[in-house]
This record gives sequence, C-alpha cells and structure tokens, in this order.
Amino acid sequence: MKRRNMFLALIALVALLGSACGEEPPANGNGNGNGNGETTAPTAPTIEEGVLMVGSCLDYAPFESIEGGDEVGFDVDLAEEIADRLGLTVEWVRADFDTIFTAVAGQQFDMVAAASTITEERQGVVDFSDPYYNSRQALVAPTGSGIASTDDIGDGDRVGVLRGSTGKSWAEDVLVPQGAEIVSYPNAPDTFRDLEAGNLVAAVNDEPFSAEVIKDFPGLEIVQPIDTDEEYGFAFSKDNPELTEAVNGVLAEIIEDGTYQTIFEQYFPGVEVPPEYQPAV
Amino acid sequence: MIETPAEGRQAAFARLILVFGAAALGLVLGGTILVVVFHGLVPYENVVEGLLSSEARIVLYAGLALGVAAIILGFSRYRVMPTKASREQAIAGGVLGIQAVFLGAIILLFREAGDPDRFVFHFFNVEVLRDYGIPVFAQAAGNTVILAFVGELGGIVLGLLLALLTLSKRAVVRAPARVYINFFRGTPLIWQLGIFYFGFSLGLGIRPQISVGPIDFGPAYTTAMIVFVLNTAAYAAEVFRAGIQSVERGQMEAARSLGMTYPQAMRHAIVPQAIRRVIPPLLNEFVILIKDTSLVVILGLAANEYELSTLARQGYADTFNATFFTAAAAGYLVVTLPLIRAVNAVEKRMRSGLVTVGA
Repeated sequence: MKRRNMFLALIALVALLGSACGEEPPANGNGNGNGNGETTAPTAPTIEEGVLMVGSCLDYAPFESIEGGDEVGFDVDLAEEIADRLGLTVEWVRADFDTIFTAVAGQQFDMVAAASTITEERQGVVDFSDPYYNSRQALVAPTGSGIASTDDIGDGDRVGVLRGSTGKSWAEDVLVPQGAEIVSYPNAPDTFRDLEAGNLVAAVNDEPFSAEVIKDFPGLEIVQPIDTDEEYGFAFSKDNPELTEAVNGVLAEIIEDGTYQTIFEQYFPGVEVPPEYQPAV
Repeated sequence: MIETPAEGRQAAFARLILVFGAAALGLVLGGTILVVVFHGLVPYENVVEGLLSSEARIVLYAGLALGVAAIILGFSRYRVMPTKASREQAIAGGVLGIQAVFLGAIILLFREAGDPDRFVFHFFNVEVLRDYGIPVFAQAAGNTVILAFVGELGGIVLGLLLALLTLSKRAVVRAPARVYINFFRGTPLIWQLGIFYFGFSLGLGIRPQISVGPIDFGPAYTTAMIVFVLNTAAYAAEVFRAGIQSVERGQMEAARSLGMTYPQAMRHAIVPQAIRRVIPPLLNEFVILIKDTSLVVILGLAANEYELSTLARQGYADTFNATFFTAAAAGYLVVTLPLIRAVNAVEKRMRSGLVTVGA
C-alpha cells in the first residue's frame, strides 16, 4: 500500500507540473492585449507591459558583460536602442547560454541578446531577427604551445567549447574526426580559465569574444581565425512574431540612420562596418 | 461468529466499493497510459493524439464516475459494515476514489485547458533521444553511480577518522576536525566543486587524473570525485559521532574494566556497535549524494565523462528539447528507487525490537 501511494504522489506531481506549464500561454495573452490598448508609441507585445525582458549570459565581452554593476557591450547598446525606439525599458535577465533558447521559447524573457548565431537548428525553436553582426570562430591556444593551426590538434587533445555554441558544433564536425576530445562548459569564461589552467590544449569560441578575453589572459593567443560565415541575430519566442517584426523594423532604422555605425565603432574601433550595416547614403 | 444474510450482503457491498475505487484509479492512470502507449510514443504527435483521443476521454470520464461512486458509497456506508475487514475495504475504496478523482481531474484539466501539444513536444519527445541511444544514457547513469559511490566510500572512511578526532578529550585534537567539518558542511557543494577544480589546476598546478584500465578520468571528473569524498566525509563524521555517542557509556566502562585501552575499546566494542546504528543514515547520505553529483554540470566534462545531468543539459543544448531532462529524471529514479527501498529494508531490520510505526 505504502509503495503504491508513493508512486501515486509522484504521478500526481508530474501531472501537476504538466498542467501548470500548459496554462502559462493564456496568461501571457492577456498581458499582450492590455499592452496594445494603452500606449501610443509603436508598441510590441511583451511579457510585462512597457518592459523588454532580455535574456543574456552577460559574460561575453565585447557583446554583453557587466562593468561596475552595469550591463555594457555591443548587444547591450543595440538592445537598449531598440527597446528605446519601441517605447520599452530593458530588464536584463542573466541566463546560461546552453539553455537560453528554450528559455526564450518558453517566454521566460522576451528576447535573447547573447551574440547568438542564426542557425537552422535554433530556428526550429525560436524566431531570429534580421542579422546584426557577422562573426567567425577562433582557435585559441597557450602562447608558444606549438599549436599553430587546427591541423595541429591531434589524437586525445582536449579542446574546450561552450555548451550549445556554434563553436561546439564546428569542433565536433572538424576536430573530433582528427581525434580531439571535446570538453564542454556551461559558460564561456570557464573555457578559457581551464585552458590557462592547463586542462585543455586549445579552445574554440567566437572570434570577437576570444579577442577580448585574451586581453585578460596574457598566456593565451588566437592562433587561427576560422571562417564559418556566421551571423548574429536576436532570438524571440515563436509565439511572438509581432515583437520579432517590430524589432526588425527599428533595427533597419538604426542601421539606416547611422546609429548602428556609432555603436559599432565604439566597441570595434578600427574595424570597418560591413557594407550591409552601413547607413543609407 | 456466524454471518447473517444481511451482513453477508454488506460485506459483499464493501468489496464492491473497493473494486470501484481500484478500478477508478486503474482506469485513470493505467487506462490513460495504455491508450497513449497504444497510439505509439514516436513521433510525439502520437502521444498527443493518444491523450486527446476519444478513447482517453472515455477512460477518464469512466474513471472519474467510478471514483465519485466509490467516494460516495465508501464514506456513507463504512459505518454500517458488520466487520472490521469490510469497514476497512469500504474506506480503502473511498480513498482510492479520491485519488482517482484528483488525478483524473488534473489529467482532464491538462487535456482540455492546457497545451498538451507543446508540453509533450518539449517533455515527452522520445524521438530526440534516439540519436543518443541507450548506451549513452547507460554510461551517464554509470558515471553518476561511480561519482556517488566513490564519494560515499571515501567519505565514510575519512568521516570515521574525523568522528574519532571530534570525540577526543583534547581540544587541540578536536579543533581541526571541527573546523574541517564546519567548513564542508557550511559551504555549498557547488562552490566547493568550482573552487577545488580551478584552485587545484590554476592555483596549485595540480591536475589530478585517474586511469582505471582503459578509462581515463580527466581533471574535472577526478576533482569532482575528490570533492565528493571530502564533502561526504564531513557529513559522515557527524553521523558517526552521533552513532558512537549513542552507544551506552556502560559499554565503554565494561570494555575498559576488561583491561582494554581506549583505542582497543573503541575498535572492539564501541565502533562496531555504532556502525550498526549509522548504516541507515549513511545509506540516506548516499541517496542524497547521487543527486548531488548533478552539480558537476558546472565543470568541463568530456563526452565519456557525462553523468545524467550533464548529458541532459548537453542534449538540451544540442536539440533544444527538454525530454532529456525527463530522461535524466527517469535515470535518477532507476538508480535511487532501489536504494531507497534498500534503506527502508535495512532500517526495518535495525529497528527490530523497537516500536514500529506505520509500515
């Protein structure tokens, strides 16, 4: 008897969780309705009226990081400019990258601004905005380690990657056949900390972030940039196409009127703005 | 006692109430599961179809109706039952009815008002697990058990030593043991994992690695094992100390009066009795440690080192589907449920001669 009751309690709990999850969307729907009725600014439906909740790992300079208690970075400025033009204020929500897309799909926040590459797999779960940054990967190794390119990665070499990242997919496709062992981390800085600690031979991550990180890790260097034709986009729940559309609208404006260029030059001094992101002449 | 025909009818009625209640619960739970299984688990749409099918609806409503009947009949009639046995049957039928109605109502609510399609897609999408396959999950479950087992075993040995130190007459001997125990009991395990991992390799240049036959355990895995040993030792020490102190003072006095020294008395008289008493709480610690191994998700692990939680998170990051978490939960239960049973069984044996409550 006792055993059966325990089993029952378990099932009840699972069922309870299930129904709780199932009931969430209608609640959001209500919020949306109110939001549309009251404000006059070009408005987009968000979870909390007047607020754009943005999920980000906030450990990924120069795109998003915390400095002196404030969120700073290219993505941060861009997201805040977008929110501003939509008449919304940004509320930053810290989230681990490996679960960030499902979190936004489940509407834990309205938008992901986390230097996230637009990929087909991710598009299965979330909607992406138009691209806002062109990126590539980089192979980072300790200075003077003898690793000069990806060809030097051989049998049994431990290579660190960020869990759920495009760098991980690339490493699995290219380095695993070479015999490398892929070690995955829940956040990007730990990858480099462990590389410095000597637990890894090399690390693969987005190039701009890698470039920023090696400033703080003098023992590490970028040994090879890896072209992967990646484009970053903001991610949204598939249930909120209106917001995606609204963000795309103001993103185009921001690029057209040169605001994008100003922000870009602030974070990537000396780098030329790619033609597709240059202001309309 | 001779049963009158009226009493016989009442007793039969009690059995009927019990059957109603049991059938109600069977329909709500077993029936729904059977309907879903018959519709197929792959692809996930079949599960949704099964849940939303008219068969499932019939089964649910039938279960609810039977459950309500069992509740009404059971609780209105148990007082007039002729024997204790039939009274108990009527009550049991009513209680089963309550459980059936409660569960049935939740499933029904989920079906009608919830979003089964989305829920099943995210949490019971067995298809996404296929690419990984059983061996990968088995290996992850194995790693979970290895981490917990090593931690528990090492922790027990170190913990007993610490416990003996804390029982010393001399404060200078007790103090370091207390500091150790309070430190490891007073800081979060997740913090210990992070600080030892990076502290060892980054601060001290120590990269512990263990090779057992063909299997190499990397620095993160090895550090995790060490931290689990250190952490479990602190808790085990408290368990041992309590166990040793619970042995009657007369035992020590008797052993000493036979001419044994203090260490001899501890070894031959006190500790053996204490160990008997601390087995249930230590097994309990083991169950807790199995779940605490999930904290290694914060460390860098290679594919063959994934335990259940890291595998779940990895799979989730790769496929964006939370079914991996469901699978991990199932994996933990496969490991912990037999252990929980074992703990209860051992506890029962240890308690022999004492007053039993429940069971």
